[in-house]
Amino acid sequence: MTTALILLLLAVGAYLVAVIEAWTMNGRWQLAAPITAGIALLGRESIVPRKPDRVFFEVAPVLLLISALLAATVLPLTPGLIITDLATGVLFINAALVYVLVALLMAGWGPNGAYAMIGGWRFLGQLIAYAMLIVMPVTAVAMRAESLLTTQIVTSQADLWNILYQPLGFVLFFVAAMALAFLPPFDLTTATSELAGGVEAEYSGVRLAVFRLGRLVLVITLAATIVVFYLGGWQGPWLPPWAWSAIKILAVTALMLLAGPALPRVREADLLSLCWKLGIPLALLNIFVVGLQVLVWP
Amino acid sequence: MLEQYGLLLGLIVGATGFVLSLYAIARATGKTQQEPGKDVPATGGQLSRDPVWVRYHARYYGYALLFLAFDMEMAFMYPWAVVYKQVGLVALLDMGVFLAILFLGLLYGWSQGVLRRQ
Repeated sequence: MTTALILLLLAVGAYLVAVIEAWTMNGRWQLAAPITAGIALLGRESIVPRKPDRVFFEVAPVLLLISALLAATVLPLTPGLIITDLATGVLFINAALVYVLVALLMAGWGPNGAYAMIGGWRFLGQLIAYAMLIVMPVTAVAMRAESLLTTQIVTSQADLWNILYQPLGFVLFFVAAMALAFLPPFDLTTATSELAGGVEAEYSGVRLAVFRLGRLVLVITLAATIVVFYLGGWQGPWLPPWAWSAIKILAVTALMLLAGPALPRVREADLLSLCWKLGIPLALLNIFVVGLQVLVWP
Repeated sequence: MLEQYGLLLGLIVGATGFVLSLYAIARATGKTQQEPGKDVPATGGQLSRDPVWVRYHARYYGYALLFLAFDMEMAFMYPWAVVYKQVGLVALLDMGVFLAILFLGLLYGWSQGVLRRQ
């Protein structure tokens, strides 16, 4: 029952992400657009390019959807509304989201097209840049909660949300999450203007619909992750827990999507040097500062 | 415990089934027609001059090597983070030394020009 409800909420969330994304692009609220676009994609031809690696080509969109879905299973929306409260929850989110890389590399290699190939390898470089900024801030979150259980991470923020307790970690994780979801300005792998869609370029019809659905679920999952790790999850005054979760997740989604169109696309070399020369020293500093805070100010 | 993982496996199977049913719907509404030139990848309408599956020069390999060291280190960080508060200052110093050595590695790599697009 819980599982079905959360899957339904994820579907609604993916729809809202599509609506908000369209709004950030053209400033209009097109409520029917995601549905009609989805149906239109179902009706179109789904072309397989010549001489593909058929296994990779077929698996990639499904794997993207599944990895985002699995990461969402360990995120609590209210105290009881969670699919599985794994004891290794935080680790499981990381493990599931790494498969985004695998899916995009498969989508790059599979169709035997030059632009897709470059897009796929670019995402590998992007992973090398953002991956440490996902795991290091999360370690600091687990240090405070003394647990890898996501529910306990939420309850550990009862007095003070992590965004105030470790603001540096929040900023790093937010940027890294945007890079993980290949949202602009980190959309190196799908760059429409330079790679003609990159890893998406060779997909059409129903396969493209699944690929885009996977991406939308990924964005809403990452927004929920940020809310659980840094914004106190379901906690908040006056309103019921589910309302707080919904408000926070949608606000974070809007923030993630709004940041993109205002900024130029980052070059791969710049992204790598920024993350390693600035991001990782700051992330280590964050772990050290949080370590002191946990000991001094329990 | 086993039930939880069974549920996750069920989700994987269910998601695959969902996608397959979407494919079935798309298939029912019409098949893809085979026409010449339709299956050419997006390279401006003609096949690319060179084969695509070649060795790609990963110009970020310097970062990639450092990444391996840091990624291994993270495997130790999670158990450490869970017991950190119980163990206290000793844990901070232990991990501090470990991270300091790694960070020196990063600084050394930086000084040798590893942290740039090769």
